[in-house]
Amino acid sequence: MNCVRKLLLARELSAGRGILRQAAPGRDLPWLQESSCAQGFWPVPVRSIRSGAALSRSDLVPSARGDKEKDRGSRDGALVPFDELFERACKGDRNKASFSRAVELFCQRDIRRRGHIEFINAALRKMPEFGVERELDVYNKILDVFPKEVFVPRNFIQRMFNYYPRQQECGIHVLEQMENYGIMPNKQTKFLLLQIFGEKSHPVRKYQRLMYWFPKFKHANPYPVPAALLQDPVDLARFSLQRIAADLSAKVTVYQMPLTDILDDGKEITQLHIVGIQSPDQQELLARHNPARPVFVEGPFPLWLKKTCVYYYILRGEPLPPEEKEEVIDSERNFYYPMQLDLDLDRDLWDNEEFYVDEVEEGPVFAMCMAGAGDQATLAKWILGLQQTNPILSQTPVVFHLTPGPRELQVDLDSESGEEEIPQSWHAKQEL
Amino acid sequence: MSGLSLLLRAARAAFPPGARQLRTGGLRSAYAKELFLGKLRKEEVFPYPEISNEELEEINQFVGPVEKFFSEEVDSTKIDQDAKIPPETLKGLKSLGLFGMQVPEEYGGLGLSNTMYARLGEITSLDASIAVTLAAHQAIGLKGILMAGTDEQKAKYLPKLASGEHIAAFCLTEPGSGSDAASIQSRATMSEDGKSFLLNGSKIWISNGGLADIFTVFARTEVVDKDGAKKDKISAFIVERAFGGVTNGKPEDKLGIRGSNTCEVHFENTKVPVENVIGEVGGGFKVAMNILNSGRFSMGSASAGMIKKLIEMTAEYACTRKQFNKKLSDFGLIQEKFTLMAVKAYVMESMAYLTAGMMDRPGVPDCSVEAAMVKVFSSEGAWICVSEALQVLGGLGYMKDYPYERYLRDSRILLIFEGTNEILRMYIALTGMQYAGKILTGKIKYVLTTC
Repeated sequence: MNCVRKLLLARELSAGRGILRQAAPGRDLPWLQESSCAQGFWPVPVRSIRSGAALSRSDLVPSARGDKEKDRGSRDGALVPFDELFERACKGDRNKASFSRAVELFCQRDIRRRGHIEFINAALRKMPEFGVERELDVYNKILDVFPKEVFVPRNFIQRMFNYYPRQQECGIHVLEQMENYGIMPNKQTKFLLLQIFGEKSHPVRKYQRLMYWFPKFKHANPYPVPAALLQDPVDLARFSLQRIAADLSAKVTVYQMPLTDILDDGKEITQLHIVGIQSPDQQELLARHNPARPVFVEGPFPLWLKKTCVYYYILRGEPLPPEEKEEVIDSERNFYYPMQLDLDLDRDLWDNEEFYVDEVEEGPVFAMCMAGAGDQATLAKWILGLQQTNPILSQTPVVFHLTPGPRELQVDLDSESGEEEIPQSWHAKQEL
Repeated sequence: MSGLSLLLRAARAAFPPGARQLRTGGLRSAYAKELFLGKLRKEEVFPYPEISNEELEEINQFVGPVEKFFSEEVDSTKIDQDAKIPPETLKGLKSLGLFGMQVPEEYGGLGLSNTMYARLGEITSLDASIAVTLAAHQAIGLKGILMAGTDEQKAKYLPKLASGEHIAAFCLTEPGSGSDAASIQSRATMSEDGKSFLLNGSKIWISNGGLADIFTVFARTEVVDKDGAKKDKISAFIVERAFGGVTNGKPEDKLGIRGSNTCEVHFENTKVPVENVIGEVGGGFKVAMNILNSGRFSMGSASAGMIKKLIEMTAEYACTRKQFNKKLSDFGLIQEKFTLMAVKAYVMESMAYLTAGMMDRPGVPDCSVEAAMVKVFSSEGAWICVSEALQVLGGLGYMKDYPYERYLRDSRILLIFEGTNEILRMYIALTGMQYAGKILTGKIKYVLTTC
């Protein structure tokens, strides 16, 4: 281990000497040649040390192989240093293999891994483009870019003074990206971090924190959305309606399956799916609803499942005014104990009833549905389907309060057409 | 707070002692309810209500023959096996006058006070089926007539009921209404001439349903409010089997109290004359509440009697059986079991007689909360103690040759009938809080208006 350390130290020193020498580039001075002779004993080939005007470490990476000269030439202090490296490695196909190839390219290029911090930061930025942000072995590969054991503090002074702070920050960035995407690190990550930064370093501490909290959070959600979401729209609608309903006895009915019919005269009729859900409690509520009062079909409301957004519509009634609320419990309702304690406790000066926006009373929701299209005709078909199990709907007036739904933002410069943008629901409401 | 009670005490002291009987209750014997206000009414419980010497002698006279009867002529094992009480046993009970213990003497009963009734309950509980048959007959079956009946009704029905010629039953439970008794569906519609009701409905799990001739039935009647609105209220009726239309199903096969006859009773267009309404039409709620609340306290003494007998039998076994060269009674855990049984029996007994004593005081005291407390504690205590007694005997306790398994099965029903323990717990809590709440809000109002 000692000889490896000495090798690394020697390399460092020579690299440091290279930084200090800001003199004419490319000139081999005699004393440098001496050291290179000294280094000649080492089996590794000597690399010429160049000192450049810019302090950026990427410039200081010596070219061992001449065919890489043209790579250096293109990279002359560009603001995004390693972008072309990734461009070149992917050759048009952005996937895990090309990303790993890019990382390997960087690692092979220089044993000192100069510019590794910039490279790692660039790699972390590029991961979403290549689609590898949720792959743990890619993160381990990125961590592998760090030179090992160089950044491990060896005495108490080094330990006190935040040894190699930029590298530690870079390690923390890697772990932070892992945390943001919710990827649990594994043993290899731990081994790598320990090897690179040593114990009691910031990245290792962050790793420990990750490993404390992530197992707790992993199974914290009692209703997790599966990673592989269903593709079939009817199945997806059924799954999301059951998620919204949260009543295990609710029944899902498919009122219409999606199909495309081609009639005899060549006309195409496309039918979109209509999937509805209603629980027995909701059915009872609807049966007790007063048919003189209207029920409203409202929608679409968005429901986000990881990255997909589905829209659902609800059938609801208005909350009853306080006079019509049937809350009076007969004093003779229960033989055994008083169901209501009739103590008139007055509110005191400081017990005022404030208005809480979150606790506004809403009317009952009778049923919900998801449909392929959000127009009145499709939803009317849903209501027709509901009528079979809730005959009271045939006598109740149904009012449709439909917002136009999700659409692209229209940047209209014309003020006249701005009026047309008012959704139909407003007109409908005004008519009412 | 103390001002009010001082006022009340002064008011009470102002009345001559004889006038106490005019009071219709309320403040008297509100011992448990006062606990909710944080007040201990020492005069209710200290000294412990004791009966006079004459009463004591009277009771001892009764206790002797009854104990003799139960120890000699009642074969509990046979009753449990056949699921039937033999008619000779019933006749013996009738001749002892046990069918009319609380019926006043002018109607042919024994006219016992609550304390004496509780004392005899201790003995009858040795056979649970007989105890339940007697309780269903008198504690709930004829209590309605006794408490809320008119003099004609009492004169007509009580003599035969007290002698045991007719047996009474209490019909409230329906398939859809157990604890939710106010949701019964049986209906009594007034006939056109307004002289009788037509009763329609079916009741389940009626004790004595197969033997009874007189039923206290609860049904819905249409009442016209003083505002003119029509409402459905519950009324109580005395229905004789002779009215016709009364059928009962076959006796149910039960886990315990197998000797008691429990069956369904169906009423089909039974004609009930208007005179047979207990209380008033639409006043069934009050009648039911009073009946249910009054019969509960005797469960305390019944359970205590049963546990005392069990302690006797189990102690005999524990002192003779030797394991590991030691008597069972030398083991600490076995001694703890006996301690538990003794403590529980003592508490049950004292609670039951305290409540009975409070109820026996002049006036019409309201001890419903105390009675509910007695029932809850005694039923749970009995279940645990019987289980522990069986445990002391180990494998022998499990065998049908010994009576412990019968006692265990019989004591399970104590937690369920006469108001399930859960319902009674709610009753105790809510009634107490309602009482305390009313008084405290009244005081707040007083403070706010005067200050």
